[in-house]
Amino acid sequence: MPSEDAGKIAILPGTLDLIVLRTLKTMGRQHAYAIAARLEQISQDLLQLNQGTLYPALVRLEQQGRIAGAWGRTETNREAKFYSITKTGEKALVEETRRWRQMSGLLEKLLSEGA
Amino acid sequence: MRRFLARLANLVRRGTAEREMAREIASHLALIAEGFERAGMPPREAALAARRAYGGVEQSKELHRDARSFVWIEQLLRDVRYAWCNLWRAPGFTMVAVVALALGLGVNLTIFGVYDALILKPLPVADPDRTVRLKRWFQHHPGNDQFHFAPAEYQYLREHSTTLAGIVASYGDLDTGAGGLTVLASFGGSAVREQVRGRAVSANYFAVLGQTAYRGRFFRPEEDRAVGASPVAVLTWGCWQRRFGRDPNAVGRTIALNGLPYTIIGIAPENFTGTDFIPFEFDFWAPLSMIGQLDPALKSSASFQLLGRVKNGVSRGQAQNETSLLLRRYLASAREADPTTAITLERTRYLDPGDAGERAQMQGAAAALWIVVCLVLGAACANVANLLLARGASRQREIGIRLAMGAGPARIVRQLLLESVLLSGLGAVAAVPLSVLSGQSLWGSFNAVFRTINLSMPTPDFRPDSRVLAYGLILAVATGVLFGLAPALRSTRLDLNRAMKGEGPVFGAHFRRSRLRGVLLASQAAVSMLLLLVSGAMMSKLRDATVSNPGFDTRNTYVLVVEGEEQRRVDLWALRDRLARLPEVAATAIGEAPSGNDDGMVPMRAGRWYDRTYASVVSDGYFETTGMRFERGRGFTRQEIESHAAVAIITESTARRCWPNEDALGKTATLTLPGEQSKRQAADFEVVGVVNDVRQADLIHIDPLRVYLPGGLSPNPDIDLMFHIRGNRGQALAAVQSAIERMDRALLPSLKMYSLEDGNLAAIRGIYRVMALVAGVLALLAVTLAVVGIQGVMSFLVSQRTREIGIRVALGATAAVLLRAIVLPGLRPVVVGMGIGFSAAVGLDAWYHSTDLLSEPLLHRVFGTPAVCAEVALMLAVAVLASLVPTRRALGVDPMRALRHE
Repeated sequence: MPSEDAGKIAILPGTLDLIVLRTLKTMGRQHAYAIAARLEQISQDLLQLNQGTLYPALVRLEQQGRIAGAWGRTETNREAKFYSITKTGEKALVEETRRWRQMSGLLEKLLSEGA
Repeated sequence: MRRFLARLANLVRRGTAEREMAREIASHLALIAEGFERAGMPPREAALAARRAYGGVEQSKELHRDARSFVWIEQLLRDVRYAWCNLWRAPGFTMVAVVALALGLGVNLTIFGVYDALILKPLPVADPDRTVRLKRWFQHHPGNDQFHFAPAEYQYLREHSTTLAGIVASYGDLDTGAGGLTVLASFGGSAVREQVRGRAVSANYFAVLGQTAYRGRFFRPEEDRAVGASPVAVLTWGCWQRRFGRDPNAVGRTIALNGLPYTIIGIAPENFTGTDFIPFEFDFWAPLSMIGQLDPALKSSASFQLLGRVKNGVSRGQAQNETSLLLRRYLASAREADPTTAITLERTRYLDPGDAGERAQMQGAAAALWIVVCLVLGAACANVANLLLARGASRQREIGIRLAMGAGPARIVRQLLLESVLLSGLGAVAAVPLSVLSGQSLWGSFNAVFRTINLSMPTPDFRPDSRVLAYGLILAVATGVLFGLAPALRSTRLDLNRAMKGEGPVFGAHFRRSRLRGVLLASQAAVSMLLLLVSGAMMSKLRDATVSNPGFDTRNTYVLVVEGEEQRRVDLWALRDRLARLPEVAATAIGEAPSGNDDGMVPMRAGRWYDRTYASVVSDGYFETTGMRFERGRGFTRQEIESHAAVAIITESTARRCWPNEDALGKTATLTLPGEQSKRQAADFEVVGVVNDVRQADLIHIDPLRVYLPGGLSPNPDIDLMFHIRGNRGQALAAVQSAIERMDRALLPSLKMYSLEDGNLAAIRGIYRVMALVAGVLALLAVTLAVVGIQGVMSFLVSQRTREIGIRVALGATAAVLLRAIVLPGLRPVVVGMGIGFSAAVGLDAWYHSTDLLSEPLLHRVFGTPAVCAEVALMLAVAVLASLVPTRRALGVDPMRALRHE
């Protein structure tokens, strides 16, 4: 529904992975729902995240070996798959963060110069 | 990379992956619902709210599947399975389609397979990529001697080359007559001598070509040095099989070649058939040093064919440059009439005419044949496309439902195309063994023709190699797409409503669809007509070659051929005088006997004409011997022969062309004859006689230009003794035989006597017969495909319009009306197609005639004969016959049942 989404920011493609990795690094072992909830909380609901799109990103990251998943139980004894960041993931996080900062810095410079 | 592997793994573990995904999504939804419940929502609503919050579950699943593995492959596999089931459920259709495709693809693969086995495959040596033939280029003319090298040149190159790991020389196939070096051999000490063929090669021949002896050994270097001192021989596998019956003790035995005992030291492996240009069968190899003893008729010195093997790490270009330089350096001090400018290193081929002109001819023939089989394949495709169209119409309901459910038309088209490619794939699988079989039988029939002139070729390796299989694969896919695309596209353009209700097309709708069908039918008819006409032309060619008068007597004119070592020894003139005295011999002559396959042409300027003419060298008495007639003037005299007088005798059409409306006697023709060492000289000749026209060059057309020159004195492999018999054939031949025996008994084993009819003429006619057979088979194939196609289409038309027919009958239509309304329009495309095929044949003929100015146009012969009318009538009859059964069905439609027809 367009009116609802008007105020939200769509996630840039490719950054979802970065966000997930960062979240896992800071929060430790989490399941998918918790990650989504945390994101909503931090972005104060500004982030337009379809919970369904989170899932493919998790699969991707797992295939790349950046996160590892294992089935477990929540506090309320429901089963869920818990993900945690791996060594590979940590290295990738550092690298991706650096690149993001570089790019956004460049973009910032370009945009301010135009003014 | 890691991701790629993971995705690949998930492709295979599809079931597990699906379950895992379902589990995760379920757990996620449960957690979201739990959150809502804790906020106070009742469980039912919480669950729904969870789904809403999650977003589209199915879409998420799709995204997941995309990320998890290669979706397109999964879809592909599923489509393939579906296509397979579909084909399985319609066995009749599948069978017909696969058979049609197998036939179409089969002939195509046959031709390509033969081409590959003969021309694309290299010689059966150990390292074909690095093995090359040496070829030299002259400043002034390209010719057959481009592969000739003198022994001294060979020595020099061998000693000084740094880029070639080895150079070998072979003697015996270049200019020693058809079949090569022939010797008289006796086996196992028996006194009977037979002709066998062999080659003389350098000692390193087998080593450089990477062959290991099947039994025994090959030549040693020292066996090449001392002239005449190493009588050793290596047998070919064929010889070992034929003459020694695969005797394991053959090595060590001796055979006598030209009287000298040679020790058999080894047997070559089965697949090594030598390095000749045209791989005729022969029996042995001997060292170069024995040349003098094997071929005593050798004038001055021999020419060798050279092959080399490029060293590892050296490129062919480098080797070529160095070899060229070396030879030019060597020849710098020699005096050449036509200097050599360069050497190239040519890739080897199994069959290699060598001469550029002949090679171009062969390529041209192969291309033409390939186009023809592609046409047949096209007809098969049109057939199957029509069948698919018909089938598509009956699958409307299924496709309509799928489209309504949201499947994109692209997806459906892809799936239908997959069915088509699967069909053609099945056809290809059936076609491959078919093509190997037919290739072998085609080869067999040609070989049978060669055997009539005592030659044969070993069967090449027809097993499909990677090239043939790749070609087959590409052809199958292309064919599948070709015939499947239009019907697939057509199937998805539906009126969904009507399709889903399962209604057949009513009056108006079928007009649109029938245009494509009409086009397909017309193209089939066109191809069939074209092929019928072409094959008719081939058959009439054959009939001409068999029936037409060659201009000389073939039954009673005999040729006496002396082969092998005796060739030099025998005095043909003395023999001739002996035979001339016999009462059973009417006339004798010496010269180049007419062979029905002549291509010795020399440039001539005579009167207004400046062109190449056929030329033969003959002695006095030739025309009497061959039963030719003098229109004007006379034949040669003995003195003219002996003095090499500058006179000539020409045929009637030559006279007509060069000096129309004048008397040719006494006129001068200037001919440029080949002299020694490729020097060309022009000389004037006075016309002293005009004889009747002959069809000597190809048995079908009259030779447009032909001159006869005096000669026959010097021994020459092309010059034979001819005689004309009188009276009873058996008696005459016996008399000739005993006369020869009395004169020189030892001559008999190397002698061959045959009438012109039984000799080369029979071989040429045999070749034409095979060609006519091939053309006939192709035409029959095309017509069969057309019959099946027409029948299928007509059946379909009738079944589609059954309701309409019922209504017409109920309204009082008679059989005639029905025919006119239903059947005839269906046949219209066939007639149109026939017209197209006819004009294509006319165009083809005109083009062929324009490129070969000297030949008679096929046009007036093809279209003037009843044969053409017969072919057209045949085609029409075939079309009518094919539609007979459906027509009867149409006429027998019961209106009540038809009106209720769904």
